[in-house]
Amino acid sequence: MSVQSSSVTPREMPAWRFVTDRWLPPVILSVITLLAWEAVVRIFAISPFIVPAPSAVAEALAANWGTLLQASIVTAEEILLGFVVSVVAGVALALLIVRFDWLGRALYPLVVLFQNVPKVALAPIFILWFGYGLAPKIILILVIAFFPVTLSMLAGMESVDRSLVSLMNSVGASRSQILLRIRVPHSLPNLMAGMKIAATLSVIGAIVGEFAGASDGLGYAIQFASTQLDTPLVFAALLLVSVLGIVFYYAAELLERLVVPWAPKFSGR
Amino acid sequence: MALAAARARNDVPTLQAVASVAAASDLISARGVSVTMGSGRHRQVILDNIDLSVPEGSFVSLIGPSGCGKSTLLKVLAGLVEPSTGRVSVAGHAPADAARRRMIGLVFQDANLLPWKNAVDNASMLLSIADPTLSKAALRERGQAMLDLVGLGDAAHKMPNELSGGMRQRVSIARSLALDPAVLLMDEPFGALDAITRDTMGQSLLEIWERTGKTIVLVTHSIDEAVHLSKQVHVLGIKPGRIIETLDVPLPYPREVSIVEHPDFIRLHNGLRALLRDSHRPGQPS
Repeated sequence: MSVQSSSVTPREMPAWRFVTDRWLPPVILSVITLLAWEAVVRIFAISPFIVPAPSAVAEALAANWGTLLQASIVTAEEILLGFVVSVVAGVALALLIVRFDWLGRALYPLVVLFQNVPKVALAPIFILWFGYGLAPKIILILVIAFFPVTLSMLAGMESVDRSLVSLMNSVGASRSQILLRIRVPHSLPNLMAGMKIAATLSVIGAIVGEFAGASDGLGYAIQFASTQLDTPLVFAALLLVSVLGIVFYYAAELLERLVVPWAPKFSGR
Repeated sequence: MALAAARARNDVPTLQAVASVAAASDLISARGVSVTMGSGRHRQVILDNIDLSVPEGSFVSLIGPSGCGKSTLLKVLAGLVEPSTGRVSVAGHAPADAARRRMIGLVFQDANLLPWKNAVDNASMLLSIADPTLSKAALRERGQAMLDLVGLGDAAHKMPNELSGGMRQRVSIARSLALDPAVLLMDEPFGALDAITRDTMGQSLLEIWERTGKTIVLVTHSIDEAVHLSKQVHVLGIKPGRIIETLDVPLPYPREVSIVEHPDFIRLHNGLRALLRDSHRPGQPS
């Protein structure tokens, strides 16, 4: 956290105050919401097929724990691999566009054009081409998640102050030197922001990929449960998808803190 | 002195044609420099027929209203902008050559430090590009020496976001001095600082100037700063950008901040103010 940060940092207040200020409000709201939800379902005797009560979701989770855990691992693997591939491809593309003008001019409009293709619609095609395994999911995540990585890194590399570039030019710095020593490190905070978006999109990509055709994973579990009209199980699987999403998001945020401790941060409200 | 040192540093013969333009004691000379941008109906004369001589070891200010091209003139001297007509020589070289020979140190309004490097590494950053043969230890040592010179010796390991605006600008000056340039070209270096920091920075700059003997060209829009710091002030007018008057500041050095109360300071200050009023009136392009 920057020393100039105006918000009160956790270090400056006692631990119990940090817990009461930051954690207590969302926890209280969640408990109230769950209780109200449970109460409404019971009072109006709503069928669990339409809206299952939290207790029913918990039951489904407990009853199918082994299967759901196995499915979560499969999906997590897809997300992680897809995310890494997207980041590597996204960074490589951004570097190529900045380093080689002609390549940038050729590629950039095509990349933007491709971005406007509805990726979800590509899922069945990838299944057709690459089968039911891991590959089509990774490729689907790649086409969904590389764009924010490329775009944010490009924005970071191009936002370097002109006079800093003049300064570098004045001592005879080469284009590659300016790229490696100024533009790339300068773009890291943007890249990290892009990676957080990519982490979220990777979860969506994995689930959509599994919807389109899979024999395992949480997306498959959701589809299977809905064909069985087992709505509590659908909700239980959805809960696990959300947990995966949160874990990946915070992993990306942790990475940000480690890689760019010098970057200005938004206060964690 | 710096000129001789600069010549000794490289064994390439100086370009006689360019060198002969400058008088013996002038480190920088510009003759008939014009800069035009655009063409046809959009053709715009930014600078018109500028003649400028900066003696070696001098402290010269360029002052004028916004749009008079003073920053462009500085960029021409730095080799960042190619003049449309005219000749410029810096220590006997074309400006871009002089820059490549590390004779030109640049300081802009924004310190432009690298936020991921500490003060000492920022101070040696340009030098590391200019001279890739230097070891890390040598770079550190040079960076530290320059921070000492600008009065930031204790802050070597601070990161830019831990430094105040004035301190950041000191690091940026140290970064240019690390090149051991013959001339410091400064474009409104204190323009973004508060009034009190501005005064202290001006005073520090005078001390650095007296200690290093560098030639300094300062672009400013502050009359106080121009009179307080420089030996000579060139006043630029607009439409087109041209030098309308050159004033010598005969006040003795070392100058303290209290110099603003000196009758000569007040006289010069008022004279410059009247000139700057005139400078807003467009002139006839020659």
